[in-house]
Amino acid sequence: MAPFGRRNVLLALLAAASVLPAVANVYQLFIANLILVYALLAIGLNILVGYAGQLAFANAAMFGIGAYATGLLQVRLGCSFWLAFPAGALTAAAVGLAISLPALRLSGLYLALSTLAFAQATQWVFLHWESVTFGAGGFKTPPLSFAPLPIDKPLGLYYLSLALLLGLFFFAQNLVASRVGRAFVAVRDGEVAAQSLGVDLLRTKALAFGISGFYAGIAGGLYSAMLNFVAPEGFDLFQMVLQKSMIVVGGLGSITGSVLGAGLIIILLEALRAFKGLQEIVFGGLLVGFVLFMRGGLVSVLKRHLRGWEEPLRLPQPGSSVAAPGRLEAAAGGAEP
Amino acid sequence: MLFSYLLMSGITTGALYGLVALGFVVVNKATGIINFAQGEFFMFAGFIAWMLHVELGVDYFVTFVLAVAFGFGLGCLTDRIAYRPLAKSDVVSLVLATVGTAFVLKGLARTIWGGKADYLAFPPITSPDPIMLGNVMVIPQQLAVLAGTAIILIVFTAFFRLTRAGKMMQATADNARAAALVGIRTDRIYTLAFGIGAAIAAAAAVLTAPLTLIYPDIGFAFFLKGFAAAVLGGLNSLPGAVLGGLIVGIAESMAGGYIHSSVMELSPFIVIMVVLTVRPSGLLGAPRARRV
Repeated sequence: MAPFGRRNVLLALLAAASVLPAVANVYQLFIANLILVYALLAIGLNILVGYAGQLAFANAAMFGIGAYATGLLQVRLGCSFWLAFPAGALTAAAVGLAISLPALRLSGLYLALSTLAFAQATQWVFLHWESVTFGAGGFKTPPLSFAPLPIDKPLGLYYLSLALLLGLFFFAQNLVASRVGRAFVAVRDGEVAAQSLGVDLLRTKALAFGISGFYAGIAGGLYSAMLNFVAPEGFDLFQMVLQKSMIVVGGLGSITGSVLGAGLIIILLEALRAFKGLQEIVFGGLLVGFVLFMRGGLVSVLKRHLRGWEEPLRLPQPGSSVAAPGRLEAAAGGAEP
Repeated sequence: MLFSYLLMSGITTGALYGLVALGFVVVNKATGIINFAQGEFFMFAGFIAWMLHVELGVDYFVTFVLAVAFGFGLGCLTDRIAYRPLAKSDVVSLVLATVGTAFVLKGLARTIWGGKADYLAFPPITSPDPIMLGNVMVIPQQLAVLAGTAIILIVFTAFFRLTRAGKMMQATADNARAAALVGIRTDRIYTLAFGIGAAIAAAAAVLTAPLTLIYPDIGFAFFLKGFAAAVLGGLNSLPGAVLGGLIVGIAESMAGGYIHSSVMELSPFIVIMVVLTVRPSGLLGAPRARRV
């Protein structure tokens, strides 16, 4: 087996992640934990956008709903974190399922815009439903304790995130190779063709939305526990671009790529922490640059240059006619004037 | 009294939403996509106008012309960078490229002008005191906005009806392949469409500037509301865009006046969701075959 095969690299990353708390300081551990949370978000988003081809912009809102639900269940109803956290993730998954209902009617651009409007409305609810959400100031969540276990909160949360990422990584990896995953890809590449092969469009799309909502909800719950604080501005448009650039930089239609993209983007985000304007330029520029010049993301480069990197890349080929049947005419007209 | 005041301010903002919506429709008619950077064109041109008028002391009308020309250039550049290389690509790539462009513009504006103040004020070009027209209280700038919008609409209609370039754009929107066959260079038409869309957004920005404050995040609000207006009117209907803008503007103003001002921010979501589920082709749009 090649030394730099995908499995070896992933195992090395996992080994590094497991021993990291022994050598890292509090800040580095926090950043590492942030990467784990965002890796979950990116995997969920990649399943929806990269595999199922549903161009949705509601992932940041799902992330927020997970965080708010987890936090509010603790603060308002006095639930323990261990009950509120899964409940929050399920809430986000349920909302994901609910917004998939218009998704059957809408495709492409219309879906993108309606989910964008939905994300904006979610933000509005966080801000203005003050009797429940505490409004613009946000709220503190009760400190998390791993009581019977003799570990402190940052360390416990880090390993909890790592374990969840590991489990959900393999779940996603198996999911996309399964019948369901192939149905996602079929829906993306041609809805009519998929339908004629017996793929239930509504069920498949709803499932993709629900799964990505669940991943975002898990990430949101972990995020609220990490910060001990939930406020509306963490879940805005910039968050959406951050997550989109993760999957584009890592590789659309690749679970491994989502993890790599999340790591890279978060490190970059920390490096640019003080410069909000520069962050927008860099992440926007990365989005444009990768879409233009490196459509498969980093994973496609690794695949080309590393022997043994067996990546089941499920990306529609640029220029293939199945990718954009609705735009064929415009494309044909624009190509040879 | 309150009603007529709300109606007037609704018509004014509605006219501006209509202009932003017009930008969407021009690009959508020609290329079939939504330019997610449309709101950022608006924002960026607003800052350019602020720089010219406030910092450099350029006359307002000269500022208007320069900002519109700048917007046109920015639109053409966006076409060259984020649309033309991807014209044969899938919708996901196209949307992500325009979203990325939007954020680059926003970041540039924040870096260049963000340090000065979060909200930049543009001096009013007309007297700020309200005047009475009959028994309706009107701020002169509102009349200026309405007059400006009317002039832009007339120029725009004349361009489409009377000029060669306008007719070529109509032909391309109608059938790109046939247009290419009769010798129209359709890729130039796409560039022109992006340029005109951005120029209209820039015009709207310079008209709005004296009524509001300019800040780097203003683009998104106008983007969503302009899009709501475009969807309501029909994404491929030019008169529909203006009609949609007026309806959204008036409804928002009424909701803000009679219910609560925070409801105004929710209007685009409600409009987009209702129209897309009830009548996806909009009020005046021609129903399109479903894109599979």
